[in-house]
Order: sequence, then structure tokens, then C-alpha cells
Amino acid sequence: MSEMTSGATLLQPSERRMVLPTNILTGILLGVVGYWAGVQIGNGFGFNDSGNTGVLAGYALGSIMFLVGIGFATYPLARLFGWVTPSQPAYDEHQGVWRYLNLSYDHKVIGIQYLIAMLMAMLFGGIGAMFVRTNLLSPDTPIFPPDKYLTLVSMHSVLMVFVASAAIVGPFGNFFVPLMIGTNRMAFPRLEALSLWLVPPALVIMLLSPVFGGFQTGWTGYTPLSEQAGQGFDSYIVGFTLIAIALVVSGVNMLTTVISMRAPGMTWTRLPIFVWGVFSASILGTFAAPVLAAALSMQALDRTMNTTFFVSSNGGSPYLWENLFWIFGHPEVYIFILPAFGIVMELIPHFARKPLWGYRIAVVGLLGVTLLSWFVWQHHLFVSGIAPALRPFYMLSTEMISIPTGIVFLVAFGTLWRSRISMTVPMLFCLGFLYNFLIGGISGVFLSDVPSDITLHGSYFSMAHFHFTIVGGEIFAIVAAIYYWFPKMTGRMLNATAGKIHFWWMFISFNLAFTPLFAAGILDMPRRVSTYAPSLQGLNDWVTIWAYVLFSSMLFFAGIVIWGWFFNSKLAVADPWHARSIEWQLPTPLPRRNFARIPTFTRPPYDYGEGVPRPLIEPGAESAPALA
Amino acid sequence: MNASERTHTLRLAIAWAVLSVVGVVIAMQVNMPPGDQTQQASDESSLLRLMLILGTPVFVGVVLFVLYSSYAFRQAPGKLEDGPPRRGNLRMQWAWVIATAVIVFALAGIGINGLANSSAATTFASSGGSLGSQTVGTSSSDRLQVQVIAQQWYFTYRYPGYGGAESTHLVLPVNANVELHVTSTDVIHSFWAYQLGVKADANPGVDNITYVTTSKTGSFTVRCAELCGIWHGNMFDTQGQVVSQGDFATWVAALQSSQSDITLPPYAPEYFPSPRVKGS
Amino acid sequence: MLVVVVAILLALVAVFLGRFVETFPYTMTSQVASQPRVAIAGSGEKETVIHVEVVGAVGAAIENPRPNDAHPTWVGYLPTTTFQVPANSVVTMVIDQEDTPSGLRNPLWSKAQGIIGGTFHMSYYDAQGNPQQGDFTKLDDPANAAHTFAIPDLGVFVPLEGLSAAAPANSFNQITFSFRVGKAGTYHWQCFVPCGSGTIYGNGGPMQTLGYMGGFLVVQ
Repeated sequence: MSEMTSGATLLQPSERRMVLPTNILTGILLGVVGYWAGVQIGNGFGFNDSGNTGVLAGYALGSIMFLVGIGFATYPLARLFGWVTPSQPAYDEHQGVWRYLNLSYDHKVIGIQYLIAMLMAMLFGGIGAMFVRTNLLSPDTPIFPPDKYLTLVSMHSVLMVFVASAAIVGPFGNFFVPLMIGTNRMAFPRLEALSLWLVPPALVIMLLSPVFGGFQTGWTGYTPLSEQAGQGFDSYIVGFTLIAIALVVSGVNMLTTVISMRAPGMTWTRLPIFVWGVFSASILGTFAAPVLAAALSMQALDRTMNTTFFVSSNGGSPYLWENLFWIFGHPEVYIFILPAFGIVMELIPHFARKPLWGYRIAVVGLLGVTLLSWFVWQHHLFVSGIAPALRPFYMLSTEMISIPTGIVFLVAFGTLWRSRISMTVPMLFCLGFLYNFLIGGISGVFLSDVPSDITLHGSYFSMAHFHFTIVGGEIFAIVAAIYYWFPKMTGRMLNATAGKIHFWWMFISFNLAFTPLFAAGILDMPRRVSTYAPSLQGLNDWVTIWAYVLFSSMLFFAGIVIWGWFFNSKLAVADPWHARSIEWQLPTPLPRRNFARIPTFTRPPYDYGEGVPRPLIEPGAESAPALA
Repeated sequence: MNASERTHTLRLAIAWAVLSVVGVVIAMQVNMPPGDQTQQASDESSLLRLMLILGTPVFVGVVLFVLYSSYAFRQAPGKLEDGPPRRGNLRMQWAWVIATAVIVFALAGIGINGLANSSAATTFASSGGSLGSQTVGTSSSDRLQVQVIAQQWYFTYRYPGYGGAESTHLVLPVNANVELHVTSTDVIHSFWAYQLGVKADANPGVDNITYVTTSKTGSFTVRCAELCGIWHGNMFDTQGQVVSQGDFATWVAALQSSQSDITLPPYAPEYFPSPRVKGS
Repeated sequence: MLVVVVAILLALVAVFLGRFVETFPYTMTSQVASQPRVAIAGSGEKETVIHVEVVGAVGAAIENPRPNDAHPTWVGYLPTTTFQVPANSVVTMVIDQEDTPSGLRNPLWSKAQGIIGGTFHMSYYDAQGNPQQGDFTKLDDPANAAHTFAIPDLGVFVPLEGLSAAAPANSFNQITFSFRVGKAGTYHWQCFVPCGSGTIYGNGGPMQTLGYMGGFLVVQ
């Protein structure tokens, strides 16, 4: 709603409304129109390039128009043309479920929207994985044609990378970091919303890839193979660029919020460790993602304007892509795991009812990983023909990164020692994380030593390594976070018995499915193949069966969440876990304004074992009664 | 440390020691691939075995701790007590960090040492690519040069010392120092000869040199280890052979004579096909 | 309500993915030879024949055109690229080659390997447009190759001579050769000429899509 001001101002503001209401339907409509327009423009201007310019321009313009339709252009246009409009859409502009389908600048709404988007992407990625494993049932007779199979492999991996890079920072970082540092909003709510709304276009663009023939390069998109790919590869370029932009935008927002919007008394040494995990991941996201965006634009130029950045016959080099990609790619995997460390180190104190042991060294560990992750990327290129003198350095730096990573285990152990553990579902998943990440970490050491890497690189061993760290590590942490924070986000508990069944179902099937893959890799099975030595058929069939069981456990989990959201009764208490962190001291559902008055924090977090609990914040800062 | 803490620590330490010894003994029985067909493969096998042995106590320790804590430190049923408010112990933290650092640096040192032994990149004197017949020997100056050409979707092998003859299967003499020049004519592939313990990426326009010293006769499998297109999984060859030196000489002579009726392009370290022209 | 919408969306995606991956070229079973080739006459082995054509544009072939193909300008083997042959037998390939020369990137493939007798029989048109035929072990000039037919797992590599510019319209070179297959299994075959024109290094497009320049030999 706009308002007329009195005549005290120099200029008379005008009252204008946008032609179309800005909501998701307008966004979809404009996105489709923008895509069509982009294709026409691109094909009109492009060289004879197999239609790539059209598709790239179509995707780009479609994404931009989608964002305009959702409502991101309203505020800039209003400022440009001097319309009077509130700086944020009114909270009650949309109601109920419709609120969650549209643009909102409330960090809590964005958190829930992000969670849904991530779960959808994970579901599509998981379906792709089931197709992939099905094809591996036979060692030489494929069920799917090899080009379609490789497209499935590539889509599974790219979609899962999208999920892994944002699935903790997006939902839980956006929802809980402002609560944990005592503020009512993030530093840049519009950027926060943008980082969310870039995800649906990226997802749709990736899912459109099969329409254009798919792409057969895996998530690493190595040139010049990627330049042989048809129009399906343009999905990868645009989709990944959108995610890279989302990473930068979210990172800038998160870093600024934590640095400058902490409430009084919330010093750096009193931050919950979860905030530190999200903070360190955001450092990496902000500075690594632009490298990816730059490299992808170089590939786009190669595919449309006949440049030869990556074609060695004309002076380019495939090494350029490999290095640029992995300079992003290695910090990227630490973007995956650092927030997961944050979750596990956050949840264990609450369920062991003991302060986090070694808070400062935990922070040092997180920041150490952040720093070291810039210096290890060439371990992906050990056998690529890099200068031999570089290999010892990168071997050393890669092995050194296991020191700060080990600190996470130290801190977890110190907290568990002599504690009082409640075996709730989130705690089970945290313990499962410790086991899975242990195996992932040890296998990483196997890969970091160059002589052993010669046998293990590019084989199923490295694939098992990163599945243990990402799925066994990050996904377990995400599930733990969902079980833990679901009551705060929705006011309902998830069924604990079902949750425990889910844990054992998922943990056992995951380990039975992925442990044999280490053996497969050591026994001469390369990655991304649908044909392998017949002697490995038994092993692969075993893995496929247990992969189906793992997928079914995730479907069961989806059932638990949907049932809990719609059918469980609302909680009577705001703090079902009796945890002593700030988010649990606030009422559920959280009101529009988290804190009626910005609180002052009075003590470090994890106040267990000190007898009578001291107040976390000065009295009087409790939030106003919940809005309807 | 009070009495019950000492009990817990003692129990854990004894259990860890016992289980680690058992685990290490089991790990020492495992014959890690890729075997001993070449010196490089032997080095890799022993390094893998060493890491398996070193990793066993770490694995046992963590799993034991998690399981023990879940049982020994669990909340009494129906209660909600807190644990003691311990926030850290500087000595323990330093001990842990130093212990992990020692293991890490020791492993890195062993790895670097193994790398120096097998790559011998800095000791090779003359440059590759010269034609003319080569003697096959084990001294560092006599190296059999073999070029591995990766194309979509098969590996072929050229012997520059034998007139640049090209073969579809890799045959190597035993007890020889071999210098492999790996290159590609189109996209990135990776030459992985499993039993030889060799993996080297084939990059277009790059001459990637790697070394292997054969010690035993036998066959080996070659696979492509870098995604290179739809037939990447089918890009393998199970008929690689390490044969006696006499057999090798016979074989390569037969190869040369069988190719006397076709003209292969001159041997070059890299080949630069034109990128967008059909064929060529 | 939301759940129903999401479930429908998911079902749509799954169906779409399923249809996307389902498109396997149909399998052509080899025909029993009406008369055995001279090279193996009298050996008593079972011999079957596979007859295909390889063309410069699948939409405009002589024998088995596919005008409704998704890529009518692509080179391809017609009518299909999946062949089924009996185990422990002799397979004779008869290939009608209609495409113009592109040239081999690796001249090693100009010499036929892995075929019975080491020779292939070719009826072709020479540079003046006169029909010729004969038995060959290799192509005279690697630059004349239009395509190859290779089954690397069986060691079969056969170059296919390109149609001369002086040849009459609607004509083709016919190349015939035989090879043995052993036990059951699935092998892939492909062309080794980078004939995906316009793609980097010529190996995109039809070379990277099943059903054009590569396929499966199913031995049962």
C-alpha cells in the first residue's frame, strides 16, 4: 500500500502499481515468455553453433523474467521511478500456504521455503540415482542407452551438488542464525530471498536438460568433452551459474549479518557453534563461487562464439578448465561439510547435556579447514600430468587438512565424555554422522597419498569416499537438523519411534550399500561406467539392492515429515528438547518480530551442569505476542 | 581425574589396545592390490597396506568410543540430569593435535618418498621423441619409449624406437624401464593399467610422461579412468601383456612388418587434429 | 492439496525420465546366410548375415530412410545399431556405404584387422565413376575413408571407403567381411572416423548418441 505524503517534500510522489501482481504465477508466466524471447534473440545473433546461443539466452532471460515476475524488480523500479512503496512487502500481503509460495523477506518464511526446495531437489536427484544403480545390475548389457545413462549420472550428481551446497545454510542458516545472534532480520533480506528464488529456476533448467538431449560429462564438466555435448549441456552452464550466484549472494548476506548484526553481549566467543559452521562455509561460498561463474562463462563463449579457451589445437588448454573448476570445487565440498560440522557440534551438547568441550579449538578447527581448503585443489589433478614437483606440496596440504577435521571428533568426544546422553532421534543421526564421516575421512587419506592415488583416482574408491562424507556426513546432519528443529519451525514433533526406525533403516542400508564400493574401486572399476568386469557383478548387484533400500528409507522419511506436518498435533511446549539455546526460549510459532526488543546476551552458550540455569538474555526482551 | 573417570579410561584403553591388535593382525593378512607386476605396483600395494594398518586403530578407537559412550554415559531413564560443566582441557587438545599432526606428516613423508622412487622424473637425462632403435635395459639411461594414444574410444600404442609402429594392444618386455608418453587426440582420457600400477591422464595437446619398471610377466588390463563420452565404460582392453624380452623383440618385429604396407604419420609427442573439421 | 500437487509433479518427472531413457534402438537379428562366403566354405560353422547401410544423412538414405528422425542431417547406420547374432558362429557384415570421404584421424584404422582371412570384399566406384570390385586388406588412402566399423572388444576394425564424387546418383559402395564370435555377451561397436561434423574434434552429435554411429552386438 502506498501513502501520500504531506507537502513538506520537494517532489510530489506518484501513486503507481505494477501492471501485473507479482507472485509466483506471474513469475512462471514471465519466465516462459522470457525463455521464448531469449531463444529468438539468441538464435538471431548467434553464430552457426548448433543452437546453443538460443538456449543459453533463453535460459538466462527466462530466469531473469521469472525473478521479475516474482517481485524482485518492484523495489528497484520504484526507487528508479520515484514511486512510493514500502521497502518490504507487507507481512500479511499473502496468507497461509500462499505465503510460502511467494516472495517474502521474512527469514523464517524463507527458511521453510528453502527446506522444501532442497527436499524436492534431493528427491529428483535420488530418482536419478536409482536409475543409475539399476543400469549397473548387469556388467555388459545396459538397460538404458549409454548416452541417456550418462545423462542420468550427470543429472544426479549436479542436482545433489545443488542440494549439498545449500541444504543447511539455506533452510537452517536463514531460519536460525538471526535467532541465535539476537536479531529480527538478516542484513540484506532481499539478497536472502534472491538466494532462495534462484534455486527453482536452476532446478527447472536442470530438469529440462533431457528435453535437449541431456549431457554426458558428469558434474565436473571437463572440457573438451563438454564442448562436444549438445544443447543439454547448456542447462548445466546456466543452472550452475545460478547456483553460484546464489552462493555468493547468500554468503554476503550471512557474513554481513553475523559480523555486524549480533546483539549486545553476543561476542564472537559466545556464538553458538552452528553459527560458526555456517559463517565459515559462507566465507568459502562468497569467494569460491565467482571462479565457477567465470569458468562457466568461458565455456559458454567456447560453445557459442567459437572461442577456444579450452581447445588445445587453437592455443587453449583443458588444464585451464580443470584448474578453474577445482579451485572452486574443492572449497565447494567444504561448503558442504562445514555447516554439517556445525550442526553436529551444536546438537551433541544439547543431547548430552554438557557444554561443548573445546569451543575455541572447535572454532580454530572450522577456520583452519576454511583456510586450508584453498590450498589443496590440485589433489584432484595428481595424475593429470601436472608438474611432478607440485605433487608433494599438494599431498602435504591435503593430508594436513585432516588435522582440523579431526578436531571435530576431538570436540565431539570431549563433549560425550562423562555426559548424560539422551538417545533421541537427532542424537542418533549425529552419532551416525561420526561413524560415516570417520570412514569418509580415512578413505580421504588413502586418496591423498599420491602413489596410492594412482590406483584409486577416478575409480569407485573415490566415489565411495565422497558419498560417505557427503551422504553419510552432510545428509545425516541435515536429517538430524530436521528432526531437531522441526518442532520450532512448524510447532509439531516428528514421531520419535518412526524416527528411530528411519535411522536404523537408513544407517544400515547406507553402509551396506557404500562400503563394498571401496572394494569395487580397488578392484579396477572406474567411475561413470555402465560396463565393468564380470567378476564384479555380485558386488554391484548387492550394492544396487541396498541402494534401493536406502532410497526407500528416504521415502519413509518423507512420509514421516509429511505426516508430522499435517497430522501431528501441535506441541504444548515451546522447548520439547529442554535445550538451553535462545531459539528454544522463544515461543512457537515464532512471531513476525522475533524479539520485541533486541536482547542482551549475558553468558556463553551451552549452559549445562552449572546447577540452576542462568538466563541467556536479560529479562524483558521476550517477544510480543504472536501475530495471527 | 576421579576414580570413575579412571575406570572408564582404563576400560577404553584396554579394549582399544586389544581390538587394535586384532584389527592390525587381520589387516596385515590382506594382500592389497594392484599386485607386484611392476615396481610401481609393489610400492602402491605396500603403501595401501600400510594405510590400512594405520587406519585400523583409528577406526577401532572412534567406533569403540562412540559405542562405549552411548552405553556408559546414557541418561538414566526418566531423568534429565546435566553432565559436568567441562569446557575444555588445553593439554588434551594439544596432545590430540600433535598426535594427529605426527601421523599426518609421517604418512606424507612416506608418500613423498615413494613418489620420488617411482617417478624418477628428475633423474632422466635425455629428452623423448627420438627415432631409431632402442636397446631395452634396466639402467636409467635405457628406457623403452612407448606412446599411449587415447582416442574416443580406444587406446593405441606406438613404439617410436621401432619405426613408430602402432599396436592395438600394449606389450611390454619384463625387467625393463619403460617411459610412457600419454596423449590424446580428442578429449581427456586416462590411461589406467591396473596391474602395472600406472595411471596417467591423456590430455589433448599434452605429452604426459610416466614411468613403469616391469618385474614379472603376465597379462594386465587397461581401462580408461576419465569420463570421455558414451563408450567410456567400454574403453578397456584385457589383453595387455608383459612378456620376456625375447618374445617382445619377436613381437615388435612382427608388428613392424605387418605395418609395412600402411603409412603412419611421423611420431610426435602431441597430435593436434583440427578441432571442428569432420574427420582430419 | 500441496502434497497432491507435488506427487503429481513427481509422477510426471518420473514418467518423463522413464521415457527419456527408454529409447533403445530396436534389435536386428542376423539372418542365416543363404550361401556361405568363399573364405569359410566347408568349415561347417554356422554363418549369419547382417546387412546395414551407412549414410551421410539419416533422413535421406537409399534403403532405410528415417525422415522423422530427431536429427535427419546426422550420419548414421541404418536401420538400427543393435545387432543380435548367435554365439560361437561366423558373422558376415554387408555394409552399403553411401557417404562421402572424411578421412581417418588415425591411419592405423585404414588396415583391416580381426576379420577372417584378413580381407574384405568391396564393390565400389573409382575416381572416374566406373564400378570396380575386389578383395582388399586395407584402404589405399586413409583420406578416402568415410567411416569404419569396429568392435574393439573382438579386435575387429574395418575401414569403409567413401563414395567417389564421380559415382552415379543413388549408388553406394558395398563392403563385405566376416568375423567370428565366441561366447555370449554384449559388445559395443563404433565408428572411428570423427564424423560428427561441427562438433569439437568431430566426436559429438551422432558419435555421442546411441543409434547413429555406435551400438551393440548382442551375442546369444
